[in-house]
Amino acid sequence: MTVEVLRPAAITPRAGLVRRFRRSVLSDPLALTGLIVIGLLVVLAVLGPWIAPYPDQGEGQSNVPARMLAPSLEHPFGTDGLGRDMLSRVIFGARPALAVSLLVVGLAILIGVPLGALAGYRRGRLDAVIMRITDLFLAFPPLLLAMAIVAALGPGLEHAALALAISWWPWYARLARGTALSLRERAFVEAARSMGVGDLAILRRHVVPNSLAPILVQATIDIGTVILAAGSLAFLGLGASPPAPDWGLMVADGRTFILDQWWLSAFPGLAIFVAVLAFNLVGDLLLDLLDPRGTR
Amino acid sequence: MSAPLLAVSDLAVRFVTRDGNTTGLDGVSLEVGQGEIVGLVGETGCGKTLTGLSILGLLPRSAQVARGSIRLEGRELLGLLDGELRRIRGSSVGMVFQNPASAFNPVFRLGTQMRMALAAHERLPKAEAEARIRETLAEVGLPEADRVLRAYPHQLSGGMLQRAMIAEALLCRPRLLIADEPTTALDVTIEAQILRLIRRLQETRGFSVLFITHDLGVVRAVSDRVVVLYAGRVAESATTATLFEEPEHPYTRGLIAAVPHAAARRKEALASIPGTVPADVGSVEGCAFAPRCPIAVDRCHLEQALVRDVGSGHLAACHLAGRGAIL
Amino acid sequence: MTRFLLHRLAGSAIVLLGLSVITFALARVVPSNPAAVYIGPKARPEDIERVARELGLDQPLPIQYLTYMRDMLTGDWGISIGTKRPVLDEIIVRLPATLELIFAAMVLAIPAGILLGVLSARWQHRPPDLAVRLISIVGVSLPAFWLGLLLQVLFFRTLHLLPLTGRVDPDLRFTAPIADLTGFHMLDTLVTGNWVAMQDVALHLVLPALTLAAYPIGLIARMTRASMLEALGQDYVRAARAAGIADRLIIYRLALKNALIPVTTVVGLTLAYSLTGTFFVEVVYSWPGLGTFAVKGLLNLDYPVVMGITLFGATGYVVINLAVDLAQSWLDPRTRLVA
Repeated sequence: MTVEVLRPAAITPRAGLVRRFRRSVLSDPLALTGLIVIGLLVVLAVLGPWIAPYPDQGEGQSNVPARMLAPSLEHPFGTDGLGRDMLSRVIFGARPALAVSLLVVGLAILIGVPLGALAGYRRGRLDAVIMRITDLFLAFPPLLLAMAIVAALGPGLEHAALALAISWWPWYARLARGTALSLRERAFVEAARSMGVGDLAILRRHVVPNSLAPILVQATIDIGTVILAAGSLAFLGLGASPPAPDWGLMVADGRTFILDQWWLSAFPGLAIFVAVLAFNLVGDLLLDLLDPRGTR
Repeated sequence: MSAPLLAVSDLAVRFVTRDGNTTGLDGVSLEVGQGEIVGLVGETGCGKTLTGLSILGLLPRSAQVARGSIRLEGRELLGLLDGELRRIRGSSVGMVFQNPASAFNPVFRLGTQMRMALAAHERLPKAEAEARIRETLAEVGLPEADRVLRAYPHQLSGGMLQRAMIAEALLCRPRLLIADEPTTALDVTIEAQILRLIRRLQETRGFSVLFITHDLGVVRAVSDRVVVLYAGRVAESATTATLFEEPEHPYTRGLIAAVPHAAARRKEALASIPGTVPADVGSVEGCAFAPRCPIAVDRCHLEQALVRDVGSGHLAACHLAGRGAIL
Repeated sequence: MTRFLLHRLAGSAIVLLGLSVITFALARVVPSNPAAVYIGPKARPEDIERVARELGLDQPLPIQYLTYMRDMLTGDWGISIGTKRPVLDEIIVRLPATLELIFAAMVLAIPAGILLGVLSARWQHRPPDLAVRLISIVGVSLPAFWLGLLLQVLFFRTLHLLPLTGRVDPDLRFTAPIADLTGFHMLDTLVTGNWVAMQDVALHLVLPALTLAAYPIGLIARMTRASMLEALGQDYVRAARAAGIADRLIIYRLALKNALIPVTTVVGLTLAYSLTGTFFVEVVYSWPGLGTFAVKGLLNLDYPVVMGITLFGATGYVVINLAVDLAQSWLDPRTRLVA
């Protein structure tokens, strides 16, 4: 028998949040720019092949006679060592960058949130065990664990994505645990418990939905951070391999020629920077919205 | 009759927020004479703390003075530059706050903080400064100066911290002490001690006190005169004896009646004033208390009652005050 | 205070134990053929068997773990497949170069970050605040490897002001050799009065340190700003103003000490960041430190090196956290009582 007496719809005043979001975004030009850039990224990721001026080169086809050309009207970002149009290459790089980071963050949430929510809600031995495990993972300096895992599994985009997901889930477990801890004392949860609603149902229907806000904010910032992390791994040679249009890989490829053909590394790196910046700006805005004290 | 030490005239303070302005104080006037203790009493939100903060120019950023004058020994304080105000704060006027534990910086020893407060105004050689601090600590009932000075705030009790705060406020021998709810956060027994201390210090040193509180019992125990504030306006002002024996304003009467007696029997109903304080008195046409007043007439709802003298310095802001007859 | 210290040490020891389990798993359990991975792809089948026996791979896991721990604790971290020398030795030889770089970056980042954060809080909502917030967010978003490359183009190629790569001009080995006392060139040249070399070393340090400092400056400035704003809103600031204490004293002494408490945590985070951030900076500037060694090991699948670096880096992080705890308890007397 399930009695749907409690509907936590009123707990998070979503209507108010949307209005405040719109007002904050419009008053903060930086955050607005960030939002626009993210939109641009999504468009490039989805429609890249149709927007890029030289789609085959974007994918990897070379055009050696046109190699190492400086930026011009024909090739606004110049061409690389194999004559490929850099603008197209950078555009094509948007899809894997966004896809990988969405995958990594998605996995991290899928693994971390349930574990963390369970730990925070149930407490006791389960909580202690899960917390020790997350502590261990978090005891590694950022990226070090991921690098070690890639070394153990072998280089490649999928392995890098897996390694990053494994490095990231503890953060979400911690976050989910924190919100679960505070939520379990709330009246509507106690009421559900006293009515005999099972733990899993409570977690699913009450705890997790109300934890979404901080998780979403963290996820937004993390998408940017993971783009940077994946790009960094690729730069070192631990991620995607040629001829994939990976931004980090492109920066690494251009490094040998950096002094004279600066555009080879400059534009892909710029893409990473702008993407991360955009997600950080929007993430900051979301943080401001959530921060009740307004200490910003 | 000497000139008042502190003269606040028609002080109005408003809060400026993104969603509009609200009134904090709506034309408050009061005086504190030389060597007297004036109690400023009212419920939470009536503006008594705002009054205290305005005197020293310590209003929060969201609040600003709309009009009025604050004169300390004849000198106008409003409009002074921050640098000039700083010279007054702590030296001519000392202030004591409600929560002694949070009024002291948690990561510095008390001694360091007190030395800084003294050094802000008087350049004394180290030995003299130490002597002054220890003297003052002894005066407030903290003779174990070594322990107090070396301690961090979390190592001392609430009562000791409040005494230390009073000592710090008195270091530079101010002529006026503003005490903003100094005993509200303390136990009743400690509260009695602190009240006695303040009275004693006032007698020995002769400074004036503006004692801000919501507790009528405290006001009665410590003040020479009382000013009652309601919703940002002065309701009544009289000597302590007169106020409690012959209150003229219905709000004052309600307040006095609402105080639960410690010795009262359980069956006696608790008197209370029905209704709530208006949110923004600036938008109220008539008397702010009219909606809750048991003797309000039509005129009360339409026309604000200004403060009038209803007999030998007893002031009240009520159309019906001073007529004697209760309708 | 000593009880507090002992308690923290015990906690760190437990974490290190747990870390050893993870690195053990990565070293012996995760790879399909741990022995082959240990000696490299060019080994002959007999060698693989021999190594498998040496590592005790036929033993049950708990015994393997104990063997692993015994080796780690006695300094036997394996032999690098690439250089054929003990991993621990290689790490120790290259450590000073990396430490000097990280130290230089922190010396830049911490004061700059704190100052920027304080200014930002002091002038909240006005131009200095907006400028610092922009600098901060750019700092934490910049890819270090990209920044490094750009700085090289700007300062070496275009402006001809600073050297391109390396720690020191190779010619100096003959003209003004640096004494090998501590391995820290700045220190060694200072102590021996070798001004020519010292200037050269300093010039070589500038760009790498700047590159590594970008993220820390951003993070530290943000945290300092936020915690200063919080401190400035506290009752004790209002009480200090009521006592007539000057604004400057209130900000830079009374509020700042409180504000720095959470900042120490962030400094710890930036140190942790540097542990891996240095990999990228060293690669770009060909800096002869642990970073380049680690990356080479990663790319060549030099397993013992990778495991050694991982264990070393994780241990370093534990040490950093311990130092942060100590710094916080020094700053905040309230935490000293907590056991």
